Amino acid sequence: MPEVQPKQKRKTDIGPPHYEKFLPPIIKENYGKWKYHEVLKPGVMVTVSETGARLYTVRAGSPRLLSIDKIRAYADLADKYCNGYLRFTSRHNVEFLLTDESKIDPLIRALDALGHPVGGMANSISSIVHTQGWVHCHSSATDASGVVKAVMDDLILYFTEMKLPAKLRIALACCLNMCGAVHCSDIAILGIHRRPPKVNRDRLKATCEIPSVVSACPTAAVRPVTVDGQPSVEVIEERCMFCANCFTVCPAMPINDPLNDGVSIWVGGKVSNARSEPMFSKLAIPFIPNNPPRWPEVVEAVRNLVEVWARNARKYERMGEWINRIGWPRFFEMTGIPFEKVHIDDFKHAGTTFKRSTHLTY
Amino acid sequence: MAEKKRSTPQLDELEKGSWPSFVKEIKTAAEKNPMANDLLGQLERSYEDKISHWKHGGIVGVLGYGGGIIGRYSDLPEEFPNVSHFHTIRINQPAGWFYTSDVLRKLCDIWEKHGSGLTNMHGSTGDLVFLGTKTDELEPTFNELTDLGFDLGGSGSDVRTPSCCCGMARCEWACYDTMALTYFLTMHYQDELHRPAFPYKWKFKMSGCPNDCVAAIARSDMSIIGTWRDDIQVDEAAVTEYAKSGVDIQKDVVGNCPAKCMEWDGKKIKIDNKACVKCMHCINAMPKALAPGKDRGACILIGAKAPIVEGALLSSVLIPFIKLVPPYKELTDLVEKIHELWAENGKNRERVGEFIQRIGMGNFLEAIGVEPTPEMVAHPRENPYVFYEEYFEEDSEDNKNA
Amino acid sequence: MAEQVTVQEVSDAMYKMIKDSMGQKKWKATDLTKAVTELFGDRCNKDLTKAAIRDLIENGKCVYTYFGGSFIEIPHREGAEN
Repeated sequence: MPEVQPKQKRKTDIGPPHYEKFLPPIIKENYGKWKYHEVLKPGVMVTVSETGARLYTVRAGSPRLLSIDKIRAYADLADKYCNGYLRFTSRHNVEFLLTDESKIDPLIRALDALGHPVGGMANSISSIVHTQGWVHCHSSATDASGVVKAVMDDLILYFTEMKLPAKLRIALACCLNMCGAVHCSDIAILGIHRRPPKVNRDRLKATCEIPSVVSACPTAAVRPVTVDGQPSVEVIEERCMFCANCFTVCPAMPINDPLNDGVSIWVGGKVSNARSEPMFSKLAIPFIPNNPPRWPEVVEAVRNLVEVWARNARKYERMGEWINRIGWPRFFEMTGIPFEKVHIDDFKHAGTTFKRSTHLTY
Repeated sequence: MAEKKRSTPQLDELEKGSWPSFVKEIKTAAEKNPMANDLLGQLERSYEDKISHWKHGGIVGVLGYGGGIIGRYSDLPEEFPNVSHFHTIRINQPAGWFYTSDVLRKLCDIWEKHGSGLTNMHGSTGDLVFLGTKTDELEPTFNELTDLGFDLGGSGSDVRTPSCCCGMARCEWACYDTMALTYFLTMHYQDELHRPAFPYKWKFKMSGCPNDCVAAIARSDMSIIGTWRDDIQVDEAAVTEYAKSGVDIQKDVVGNCPAKCMEWDGKKIKIDNKACVKCMHCINAMPKALAPGKDRGACILIGAKAPIVEGALLSSVLIPFIKLVPPYKELTDLVEKIHELWAENGKNRERVGEFIQRIGMGNFLEAIGVEPTPEMVAHPRENPYVFYEEYFEEDSEDNKNA
Repeated sequence: MAEQVTVQEVSDAMYKMIKDSMGQKKWKATDLTKAVTELFGDRCNKDLTKAAIRDLIENGKCVYTYFGGSFIEIPHREGAEN
């Protein structure tokens, strides 16, 4: 820990700046007075106040990982087109907040020139919420940014157009910790480990507290042992479902395995309450090996899911709502995904996921 | 620049294609910044080896805080010395992620001086992320950030940086002021945000309506989702406009109503508001014609989390309806009771949702003094395994009429 | 009512607990709070334990660490840093 400069009075617990400092005048004047909004074209929306004021939003996609040079470029665009006011969305898009309608198209052209497509509104695929992957995470079972880039290169027309039956939300998490909480997405790409952790005894002794490592395991696969008179732990391999919780608690339990780590794909989750209640995503494709730099098998699998859904879903029907209507047997048939043993839940309360009726299609 | 450019044949493949490229971002930063250059080198190695080359660091931080810095070390420090330490700084974003160009430039200047020049706009929880710097740079970066009026966000077993949708700033559906509440909670829990004192993380997320744009119901221990109690507001002329413009109101709007509480006779829409479950579909479909009612507030749900440790959970209803207006005393009283109970009885890494599963929702409600109501369950229990605590005894007074 | 202990006494007691069990037990803030409450009984309260933890951290005697949860430890160079 570096020494603190005594001459400088440290400020702490000041919290974030108050958001009002960053709101454009039109928002301050119409805060809480908005009447309706309308998507004018892909990535462009007008929000109309009861006072008649019109706020235009232009939304552009982003890789989330941004250099300060790019942020400065955003700032320059904001100065040029909207008096310096911009915001970011929960899905990493950048939004420019305009009051002058005539500046919308020039801004779109400038964003295109900068390499940032405008879109991601209404019945489209918005940016993929994702995690750090190999760029910055120690427990990642796959890269995040690379997979996202390859998938979005392939699906970009679904971002810049609004031709889908409903919105489609894709998310990627590079391990089960799910920093991106992907478990309620239309399509979730999830990095998975498939081999048990290896115990590094010397490091374990130096850095980890054995009772915490043992209690970290949700299936009691980690148990204390004495090796050469030294306390340590062992892993009962057949009980391990590769969650890596022990590795999070104790760095001496590495679980990463280049040969066996990879990607699984989950479908049909949603968080919105619109029409149907929020739902978890369910397992569609258990495992696809990592194939950097462009993960072609993942790209192909995601495209297939998007297209089968887009062709068959009714207007407003999210992925999960479509599957609930047609049933899982038809989902597997239509997507051509083989149904395997691992699709059947065998963890806690698995029985509630079995089909308990004769409501079947033939 | 003195540093040799890294050869990155695999990553170069990710500069192709029309979606904006994160590799281009790292390369841009690497032009001037040796950390970004070594990041590029190490990432290329991960692409060759199909494995992460980062090690977890659990000790680094700024003085006095237990959250806000994520420690990272390279496992190839000789080859990539400039990322041998590469710690992340989480900066508490302004509510709703609104910025001015001016403040963004000042943030960039700080990061140009002290770090890799790479960021996440934003991290999954909502923080503005400064991606990667050395241990010695943490304290100076923090001091410059606080001079600019910014503070660190949460990490570890603390209150994580609260986040919200843009609410009343740009949305007609906001049923309460999400940004005001987010700012209030962030300031109210500054100590709990910076000094971890819980069994595990605690997330607040604020969504202004049941569309839940910040995924509160899936991702936060306390999900505060706007809703209303009275009748949907209907502008009949605007409904007619939608019908005229080709919207199939019967099929697309009425036909999708989960409560079957709407009727359309080709001229007028009729809503049985008593039966409406406030799902938002009809309002989403005809935003000019329909709007949430005027008696607005929020539903508070509890316990969402991702799978680790005991499995993923969605939040469930705790307070079916609450008016959310300053000073939010009813809300903070409730939060304090929950925090006290969970801090006292929760196990290490046990989120409040898992804690509730372990002790039972009924016991949890009793302990925090909230009456059980049918809104809290999808349906009553299906099994008869009831843990009765009270029973009749022979000759007792209560037994006379039994 | 019993006379209250001082912040210093509480933080000293906490420090001793952490030092005496180094390598065997990692302490969370809640564990320390419970342990000193047991030790001092009603002479101690939540405000005191909070202030004592803050004192330990801000004087540099202890640091917060993170290993799948946040702990309070005596500063040491971490394995990963060596």
